Amino acid sequence: MTATGPTTSAGEPLGVESLPSLPALGGLYARGAASSGRIAAGRALPNLPVIGQAREPDDGPPALPGVAYRVTGVETGGLATHLRDYERLLHEPASDVMPAGYLHVLAFPLATAVMVRGDFPLPLLGMVHLANEVEHRGPVRVGDRLDVRAWAENLRAHKRGVQVDLVAEVWPDGGADRPVWRGVSTYLAKGFHLTDGEPAEPEQPDRAPSGTWTPPLPTGRWALGPGTGRAYGAVSGDRNPIHMSALAAKAFGFPRAIAHGMYTAARALADVGNARGDAYRWTVEFGRPVLLPGTVDVAVTPAPEPGTGFRYVGWNARHGQLHFEGEVVPLEP
Amino acid sequence: MATRKTTTGTARGASSGSTGSAPAAGVRDAVIVGGNRIPFSRAGKKYADASNQEMFTAALEGLVARFGLQGERLGEVVGGAVLKHSRDFNLVREAVLGSSLSPQTPAFDLQQACATGLEATINVANKIRLGQIDSGVAGGTDTISDAPVAVSEGLRRALLAASHAKTLQGRLKAFARIRPADLKPLTPATDEPRTGLSMGEHQAITTARWGITREAQDEVALASHQNLAQAWDAGFFDDLVTPFRGLTRDDNLRPDTSLEKLASLKPVFGKSLASSSESPVGPTMTAGNSTPLTDGASTVLLASTEWAEAHDLPVLARFVDAETAAVDFVHGHEGLLMAPVHAVPRLLARNGMTLADFDFFEIHEAFASTVLTTLAAWEDADYCKNELGLPGAFGSVDRAKINVNGSSLAAGHPFAATGGRIVATAAKLVSQRAAETGETARALVSVCAAGGLGATAIIESV
Repeated sequence: MTATGPTTSAGEPLGVESLPSLPALGGLYARGAASSGRIAAGRALPNLPVIGQAREPDDGPPALPGVAYRVTGVETGGLATHLRDYERLLHEPASDVMPAGYLHVLAFPLATAVMVRGDFPLPLLGMVHLANEVEHRGPVRVGDRLDVRAWAENLRAHKRGVQVDLVAEVWPDGGADRPVWRGVSTYLAKGFHLTDGEPAEPEQPDRAPSGTWTPPLPTGRWALGPGTGRAYGAVSGDRNPIHMSALAAKAFGFPRAIAHGMYTAARALADVGNARGDAYRWTVEFGRPVLLPGTVDVAVTPAPEPGTGFRYVGWNARHGQLHFEGEVVPLEP
Repeated sequence: MATRKTTTGTARGASSGSTGSAPAAGVRDAVIVGGNRIPFSRAGKKYADASNQEMFTAALEGLVARFGLQGERLGEVVGGAVLKHSRDFNLVREAVLGSSLSPQTPAFDLQQACATGLEATINVANKIRLGQIDSGVAGGTDTISDAPVAVSEGLRRALLAASHAKTLQGRLKAFARIRPADLKPLTPATDEPRTGLSMGEHQAITTARWGITREAQDEVALASHQNLAQAWDAGFFDDLVTPFRGLTRDDNLRPDTSLEKLASLKPVFGKSLASSSESPVGPTMTAGNSTPLTDGASTVLLASTEWAEAHDLPVLARFVDAETAAVDFVHGHEGLLMAPVHAVPRLLARNGMTLADFDFFEIHEAFASTVLTTLAAWEDADYCKNELGLPGAFGSVDRAKINVNGSSLAAGHPFAATGGRIVATAAKLVSQRAAETGETARALVSVCAAGGLGATAIIESV
């Protein structure tokens, strides 16, 4: 452990719990389903004690666990085949240098492990991925030893519930001034409140109502087959049921299975290609989910000022609905 | 309007405005003796079961018969097909062996999407100019009807893994990976692999960006049919085409079409662009002003002047020079089919020519709007400055000089066969014009291709 342990973005120190290895995301969803059920039961019957729930109903406003998970000495030498599968699925160029989207796949299970802790106040299942921001500072290659950290922070109100940031960091093993990769995934838990009885203040305006957004001319079109969610689920380990089958998605209120938001953002990142350079900020805000099978029109275009990276946007041409938009902007390495 | 041409105003084309050095000095002329093709046929009709090799052999054998080349050892036969089965790894050589040419005639396949036929011509001409060969045939063939069908990627990888496995268990494990969806065969698509947009959708974006109207496109289509019909009626193709499988004329030709009929067709491309903020016109591209999928094959005989004289063969024209180009279409900076717009100014600068030096313009009609966006771009001063690195507008082309004997909208476009059709037509046109006027006549050839590619050439009477 370094002298200065992990802190939140606001500088609050976090306790560190070291794990022996990165958890596999698939297994976490089984645990997440169980704890989501507990939390749902706790909300439905607030006066009944809920077995196995660490947080008592009268603990006060929900709080995040003040702990960061950390795994040191993560070996990547055996990931060449996994990286190949990722690159083929996402249309990334074949390379032993890991794209930022792959590092998300690698590091995010640790953040998910934070979300399935007994004292995490929100249910993993049913949370909505609102936005993602990644700072990728330089090449990470197959064979590099990594130090991965993850925690939750910045629990705050959202018009439709409560949102939280899951932070994951990838450091070169053995220390450095800053992480080589840092991802902040913002999730919304609908229907939750920070304090009982007090309506949540809308922190940001809702996205524009449908019909007011006009798409640009596309630069590409993605024909996403019905197995898109299962294919990304297999590569990323994110087998959230809403991505796996129409039946499971219906249970969560979607008419059909939906594509992983990070799949769409990572494909847009791949579309930028080598023009993104070695160090870049990659952001995305998600709009309407992409129903599978489906067709997504995309525009991945250089920003107006030369040298300021790329912008991307994806939409449904038939309904004129925005699915996602974001940027890939060069960073100083 | 200038702001709509490209997605950003950066002058990326300007830095690539190099025109190369002067045309190669000290090399000899490559001349076009003549050409031969089979009539082009709409997919699924007369050539529904004709293979690439059969069609190319038929076109080649017709050329051999026309110029008495039986038993002749030519320097090289070069051609290709865009949609090619892996078993056709030596398509052109096999066609040579199936022809009456000497079996000692070498051959090779090349492929540059729709520019295959013109690129083959450039190759043969350059070898002749350098003195490496004295004679050669360039051409191409393509079939949509008999297109290769491939297995899915999942099935292909499983089959390969099984063939690499050393044990029965290993093979079974490989087969166990096959999913029902993997059994669906893959048929060739005209989608750009990198964007997922079909060529028609790409051109619809370019058409919208340049604000090309439906009426203008239909007029180009009508002219193509009328011009090709007149050329057939006048006997222009009598010494350029050999009937095949009972077909004696291009069967896509509609001599009786009209603007009214063309106007009645529904748009097929760009239908989802209507809501775009950057699309000033609605969908405009129909089956009438877009090229149909077609089967066919074509060949061109090239030689040194000496070889043609020694064989007592006529010479139609000189293949002067050629230029290829490619554009950055992946992120929408330039239209997919705009590469010839970039190639021609470089080609003409190197040869000290302007658009005014040409009597004929053979601009491949992938779509009617391809011709129109090409012309519009050359007339746009801002575009020519920013994208082509020119001091101002490149210039205008007299519409009466464009595709005077019809082009792909009427004849059809069997991808690799189009270059040979155009080169032979252009050579005969300049030959006829020079005979009439006693002055040098020139044709400019422009062929756009998938992948943001384009090939262009200058053909001149001798």
